[in-house]
Amino acid sequence: MTAPQHWFSRCCRRWATVGAVGSAADGDIAVAFQKGRSDALSLVYERYAAMVYTVALRSLGAPADAEDVTQQVFVAAWRGRDSFDPARGGLSTWLMAITRNKVVDALRTREREAGRVRAAGASLASRRPGPADGLGQPDQIIDRVVLTDEIVRLGEPQRQIMMLAFYTDLTHEQIAAALRLPLGTVKSHIRRSLQRLRTRLEGDGATH
Amino acid sequence: MPHIDPDLLALLALGEDAAAEDRAHLASCPECATELQQLTKVVSVTRSGSDLRVLDPPPPGLWSRVAAAAGVDPAPGPATAQVTGPEPGRAGRPDSAAGLAPGPVPVGEPGLPQARTAWWRRRPLLTAAAGLVAGLLIGAGGAAGIHQLTGGPAVHVVASIPLRPLAQFPEWQAARGTAVMADGPHGKQLTVSLRAPRKPGFYEVWLLARNGTSMISLGDLGPGHSGKFTMPPGVDLANYSRIDVSLQPFNGSTLHSRTSVVRGSLPQ
Repeated sequence: MTAPQHWFSRCCRRWATVGAVGSAADGDIAVAFQKGRSDALSLVYERYAAMVYTVALRSLGAPADAEDVTQQVFVAAWRGRDSFDPARGGLSTWLMAITRNKVVDALRTREREAGRVRAAGASLASRRPGPADGLGQPDQIIDRVVLTDEIVRLGEPQRQIMMLAFYTDLTHEQIAAALRLPLGTVKSHIRRSLQRLRTRLEGDGATH
Repeated sequence: MPHIDPDLLALLALGEDAAAEDRAHLASCPECATELQQLTKVVSVTRSGSDLRVLDPPPPGLWSRVAAAAGVDPAPGPATAQVTGPEPGRAGRPDSAAGLAPGPVPVGEPGLPQARTAWWRRRPLLTAAAGLVAGLLIGAGGAAGIHQLTGGPAVHVVASIPLRPLAQFPEWQAARGTAVMADGPHGKQLTVSLRAPRKPGFYEVWLLARNGTSMISLGDLGPGHSGKFTMPPGVDLANYSRIDVSLQPFNGSTLHSRTSVVRGSLPQ
């Protein structure tokens, strides 16, 4: 299996630089945010904007709408930061809840506008995507985005192992061979990663 | 009754085969069955989201708009909203329990040298473009096989251009748009999205030349007011450097209506 090894040598080195670490954990960001530190919003944005934007974009379809919703979410989060209690749950959960609300509001507004447009007899060319187009209610999208976020944060080689486990038909033995890792290492990485993803989904997911 | 090895439960959740005695145990043990159900849910949600292997990065200009709306100082802001990497402290820690074999798989490297600056400045500047390329190396291609993960060439974002209304069209002052230019396998691709009040007609995207007279139509924005257009081969983007979105009436004419909704300029 020389081709997979060669590909992974190249990709691992690239990921080793791309995936390098910062020094503030999610908990520190949450504390800074709750205390209203002056740079806290930029920390929270840097950590979570991609999650919020992705939920909005995959629910609404139009990047301009997704940008609007993202802005609304972070402004609402900043203005409401006194109501965020780290003891009750994570910042990610709280932000996903705000995102869900803003997306649902945007979808309702769109439905109302679509109703007015239909009443006025406008042509189909001006119709925006909505639930009928396969976009729409954000709960499943939130679940997927939460898991994607956690998978990215697994570290290496856990992330590569799980990407292969999820998205290819390779068995764990074949994954171990492809990555030149001991079988026991791969099995325990798979177990701990899946448990960690389960914990994250139960904490932040929308369909629980 | 001994429960199923947790390592094995995880493999079962991934769809690997179960031995007969394990299947029998699962049938009679609610704890193991519940654990398997929860892990299986993680697997099925992840697999159903195969189009979401990487998060979509928000456009670079969005942070300053967020900061302005929230009333906070935009500087120093995030370099860009990153598709974040491993959690701090986790990458780089060797797996002492199992002892990783040396090989072509580095466990990950710690970040940049620790300078006495704000923590986010110490992180490497992972631009949206690099994140997109790296993510696509993992996420590209179809479902099965390592080889297909490498299929699908990387897409490199070249520029993100805000599109803004023109002063001479006061009726469009609320309109906003974004154009993202990316290098794809078939040349440069422009993705345009528009937010504008609803008016009769349809939106069309043009490249305008510097002389203000010549123009090239790229196509219509469909429902959703967005579209992806491949640049015609050989077009001189230094000359056709402005992106224009017009509102076209349903009159059958292919000419620019002379009503520009939003416009932006390609970086030179």
